[in-house]
Amino acid sequence: MLDQPHSPAPLVQLVDIHKRFGGVHAVEGVSVDLYPGEVVGVLGHNGAGKSCLMRILSGAMAATDGAIFVNGTRAEVKTPQDAKSLGIETIYQTLALANHLDAPANLFLGRELKTRFGNLDEPRMLAEATEALRQLNPNFKNLRDPVARLSGGQRQVIAIARAIYFQAKVLIMDEPTAALGPSETAMVADLIMRLKAEGIGIFLISHDMGDVFELCDRVMVMNKGSNVGTFRIEDVNKDDILSLIVKGTLPEGWQPRGARV
Amino acid sequence: MAPGADKTGLRFLPSGATLHKLSALLTLVLLIGIFAFTSPAFLSVNNGLTVLLQTSVIALLAIGMTMVIITGGIDLSVGSVLALSGVVAGLLIKAGLPVYPAMMAGVIAGGLCGFANGLIITKMRITPFVATLGMMLIARGLALQLTGAAPISRLGDAFGQLGNGALFRVVEMQANGFPKVIFPGIPYPAILLLIMALVGAYLLNKRQVGRHIFSVGSNEEAAHLSGVNVHRTKIWAYTASGALAGLAGMVLMSRLSTVQPNEGVMYELDAIAASVIGGASLMGGVGSISGSMIGAFIIGVLRNGLNMAGTSAFIQQIIIGIVVIVAVYIDQVRNKT
Ligand SMILES: Nc1ncnc2c1ncn2[C@@H]1O[C@H](COP(=O)(O)OP(=O)(O)OP(=O)(O)O)[C@@H](O)[C@H]1O
Ligand SMILES: [Mg+2]
Repeated sequence: MLDQPHSPAPLVQLVDIHKRFGGVHAVEGVSVDLYPGEVVGVLGHNGAGKSCLMRILSGAMAATDGAIFVNGTRAEVKTPQDAKSLGIETIYQTLALANHLDAPANLFLGRELKTRFGNLDEPRMLAEATEALRQLNPNFKNLRDPVARLSGGQRQVIAIARAIYFQAKVLIMDEPTAALGPSETAMVADLIMRLKAEGIGIFLISHDMGDVFELCDRVMVMNKGSNVGTFRIEDVNKDDILSLIVKGTLPEGWQPRGARV
Repeated sequence: MAPGADKTGLRFLPSGATLHKLSALLTLVLLIGIFAFTSPAFLSVNNGLTVLLQTSVIALLAIGMTMVIITGGIDLSVGSVLALSGVVAGLLIKAGLPVYPAMMAGVIAGGLCGFANGLIITKMRITPFVATLGMMLIARGLALQLTGAAPISRLGDAFGQLGNGALFRVVEMQANGFPKVIFPGIPYPAILLLIMALVGAYLLNKRQVGRHIFSVGSNEEAAHLSGVNVHRTKIWAYTASGALAGLAGMVLMSRLSTVQPNEGVMYELDAIAASVIGGASLMGGVGSISGSMIGAFIIGVLRNGLNMAGTSAFIQQIIIGIVVIVAVYIDQVRNKT
């Protein structure tokens, strides 16, 4: 693999991860790592196992086999709380919002702000949520509406705001812009660049080749549960990636395309 | 400035849930009006107190039931747990324990039944309907087995205090030696209900556990992924429901001054009906204590008023059944528009 060694220690290493559902092999021996300030694209056809792999890292799903290392030490990520306390935040493909609750309640769900007496601090949660959401979408109104009544894009913005509010070190974004309009998508791209500059490592799952080439430093391609290649983005072009996604192999006679450093 | 404030005017229009509560309240007022018109004795202080007493047991059950329903579950065991708690308290008093510690033990017994429900539902992954149906049979069987199906009586005057006593009751001895009640006072069950309803509403709306109860009922997966301890939240709700059933048992048995192991049959259905009339959704994520209290009083007033009008118990059931269906139907129609 033409996966260059990096100078700092990896933030996250997934080693030989397997996930089986009865007879279905959703993830088959996938290893991948992520360094500070790096965006790694996780690509693959529908059902390739991208979400499963990421859910294992978020503590939402237990791996059948394999190990997770965070900052070089073996970590047990059994629950979403475990992941959060390791600084791993996730934007789920399903968004994971409680429909009957409003935006602030969803943003702080499980990590509610409280007053001195242990009561919910609604005014502070509202103020913080307003601030966090306006950063992503200046037109965000109806914050007190149950999120069921919001648009798909607004809901996605809440899920994104929730993941970045708590100062993650590792961010998992499972198709974060699927429901967003062009300006919001551009905003998320800006956001990714900003977080990257702050030294946050990001796993980005996306089907949009434009986004992948614009934002990712490396890409990892999955095909039928296996990792069929991890590359620096300079070394591949769109056709190479499509070939990996569809057939699981590089085009014949492939040579690294980028200038070797 | 609150972000909702830019929608001036709209803020003053009640939202769906508030609207449901308002219409339930209106129904209650309407019912009282109709019964006051048809039977003159209905609107007396004494009858008001009777309704309050009769309703307090169902309303106490409805507080816990509402919490469970908001998590997306159901508790069919409360009627039986109420009886078992009474039996526990009665037996302990017979064994020589003072009344109030024994009653406390009864409430704890109820809480333990609820805790068991919670464990069965979360750890054994049995659906709430089946788990609490099982508990309904177990608790009733235990209550009957422990007592040989016979009532426990002669529990002393103190045992009757909670159900029959009242705060600020003014009684005057008459010349003929008989006491005359000048002011009947506020019955203890009503005070207890008010306190429990306030505590319940506070926990549900102002505390983290309440927020988590709503989130679990709204989207269990999302709650789990957000870091909510779903199991603990559910166990909490079922335990609260069990303890409140125990408390309702103390009130009911105290009012009867005897422990009846076969009391409380089908009370769970009244409690569910009260919650649903008050706007709780069996799909989870929606409900309020205030709504359920209004629902409980709608049922209580209906029962009492129909009784006074001489309607048979059978017809009463039919009417309450229709009310439940209509309440839910109206709610659904409104939510669609
Ligand atoms: N909870 C589950 N139970 C059983 N099988 C599952 C479960 N979750 C995922 N799978 C299976 O695992 C495989 C991988 O699914 P996964 O969601 O990871 O795909 P994906 O790469 O994220 O696809 P997409 O691009 O459509 O989001 C699929 O075949 C899917 O059917
Ligand atoms: Mg996916």
